[in-house]
Amino acid sequence: MKIEKLFQRTRFGIFAMFGAIVLSTSILCVITVSTEISAEYEINTSNIAKTVANSSVDILLNRDLATLQSLVDQFIEIQGIRYIYITSETGDYLAHTFVPGIPDEILASDHRSTEPVERDLPGLGIFLEVGSPILAGVAGHVHVGMDLDVVALKIQRAIGQQIYLVAVILVIGVLAAIWLVNLAARPLGELLAYAVELARDGDPEALADRAVLARNDEAGHLARLFLYMARNGKEPGAMSPAPQPAD
Amino acid sequence: MCAGIVSGLVLNIKLSRRRLVESGLAALLTAPWAVSLRAATVLPGIDSGADGAESDDIVLGVSAAFSGPSRGLGTELYRGAAACFAHVNASGGINGRRIALKMYDDGYQPDPCVENTMQLMLEDQVFLLFGYVGTPTVTRVLPILKKFQSENIYMFFPFTGAQPQRQPPYGEFAFNLRASYGQETAGLVDNFVRIGRRRIGVFYQMDAYGRSGWAGVRSALARHGERIAGEATYGRGAKFTGSMRQQVEILKSAAPEAVICIGSYAACAAFARDAVDLGLEVPIANLSFVGSENLLNLLTEGREDSERYTRLLVNSQVVPSYEDLSIPAVREYRELMERYNPQVPEELVKEEYAALPQSFGSLEGFLNAKLLAEILRRLGGDVRRARLEQAVFSVSDFDLGVGERVSFGPDRRQGLQTVYYTVVEEGRFVPLEDWQAKFA
Repeated sequence: MKIEKLFQRTRFGIFAMFGAIVLSTSILCVITVSTEISAEYEINTSNIAKTVANSSVDILLNRDLATLQSLVDQFIEIQGIRYIYITSETGDYLAHTFVPGIPDEILASDHRSTEPVERDLPGLGIFLEVGSPILAGVAGHVHVGMDLDVVALKIQRAIGQQIYLVAVILVIGVLAAIWLVNLAARPLGELLAYAVELARDGDPEALADRAVLARNDEAGHLARLFLYMARNGKEPGAMSPAPQPAD
Repeated sequence: MCAGIVSGLVLNIKLSRRRLVESGLAALLTAPWAVSLRAATVLPGIDSGADGAESDDIVLGVSAAFSGPSRGLGTELYRGAAACFAHVNASGGINGRRIALKMYDDGYQPDPCVENTMQLMLEDQVFLLFGYVGTPTVTRVLPILKKFQSENIYMFFPFTGAQPQRQPPYGEFAFNLRASYGQETAGLVDNFVRIGRRRIGVFYQMDAYGRSGWAGVRSALARHGERIAGEATYGRGAKFTGSMRQQVEILKSAAPEAVICIGSYAACAAFARDAVDLGLEVPIANLSFVGSENLLNLLTEGREDSERYTRLLVNSQVVPSYEDLSIPAVREYRELMERYNPQVPEELVKEEYAALPQSFGSLEGFLNAKLLAEILRRLGGDVRRARLEQAVFSVSDFDLGVGERVSFGPDRRQGLQTVYYTVVEEGRFVPLEDWQAKFA
């Protein structure tokens, strides 16, 4: 006989507990991953700007703009970096990666600024731009644009992976909990079925081969108690002494 | 090796004079540029670091564009050089040794070019590097030459006029024949300014090549107290079928009186087409690297009104016109091109390309090969890389047959200085005689 009602609250509690764990973990995960990845990309972008700036010194002093462009072209291959431009100390654009041309928003910006700034370039996307001076700014500035769409995609992917893992754990946990509850409920079902048969048939000897009587747990003790009472025609309150456990 | 690189391809000039005589196949005189393929290393058994020319062949390593939108450049440059080398080999070789080429395709892309170069230097053990095509490719290879400078591997006559292989820190590892982009752009700017066209815009390829030309225009304009009026860019690998209307609109808004293009023929032809279609009717100049004949073919093929697309073109060249038969080297070039008609080995051909009977590119390749053969001859019987620089510096006041004498030295690593200007007349590029009359 199936036990339905006894563990209803237990099951609900398990669902609620796992749900709360998943929700809180997911929220924490979104915040942590988003913050960490954004910070990491910003630091990387800043480091790239500094690296380009440091690498550009000799090239700029040699007036070798082809090599400078070649250097810039290599850095643009790094994931997330969408544009780089290098300005001279007077604001001339000495090398850049814009096609078909330098956007007006860039042309109108302060080429000396090195503070991170968010730029919305029509037709290109939204970028976080980081600058770095070359020779303390006397030789010019490097500006590197990080594509925030790429960063957002990276964050989404990382969060998705985390939530996927938590969801899998949730499903496995809930299924395991249900299985364990059912495992615990099975002897009770057998005991209930035995008690019902005993009450219906009234012949305890005909039911003496039931498996529940052989169980070495509380359900087995109860079943044997019911059998004892049925054999002796006793009411539960008149029974004395109680039978000892089989072991 | 990355995809697209044809590995282990060796092009041998098979037929020496002795073999021809022995075989009695006189007919083969018309085709001594036979091609054989070998999968193995050219010079087996040579220890690492040994010169590539210690066997019978003097093996030259080539990485160039034989595929992609710029395949015409690599193909034509190769054809000219191959005609010359075929003749050298058929005439007994260099002090009895044949010249062989080990060739790879880089598609005019830097990364494959770097990989090819490493293969040529470390695995194939070539004697020197020759016939490279393009600035973005060559600028990436130069640091490799510096890294292996103890091996004395030099790059000879790359098909680029950029500065990096002409100045420190890499200038000492390369020898150039052609004039630089700086000289070409300066000549164009000077002539435009002279005829009153001072507002000059630049359309350029977004890479080291484009930047090199851009820098040349900027520098030349600065000498006249001017700045670049406007600029627009395109990505390397653009095709003629693509649109350059955005670029034209950007430049139109700057109201230029002339535009100098620093690009490949497909992109520059697309720009010239769209410029005319959108009403930007100003002289459009192209540098020598563009591949003039390929540019012209794209603009004229299948068009009845092609004259309106070509009438304002002016292309700078670093070799004289191949139509000028008064020039001895041109006569020799045309004769050998007709005799040998070399083709790129089938294994390197991935896309269809109709080779040109003559072109500025193949003439440059021919002159490169002719001068290199002379330098190799000067090595005598002691063919070692360590002696190459000395052999190059021994070239002084040498008559290459183009009128201008060639000299090299420690401070002179570029053989020719002359820039020629050409315009389209009757469907072909001819020398520009009078800028004032044409464009004023």
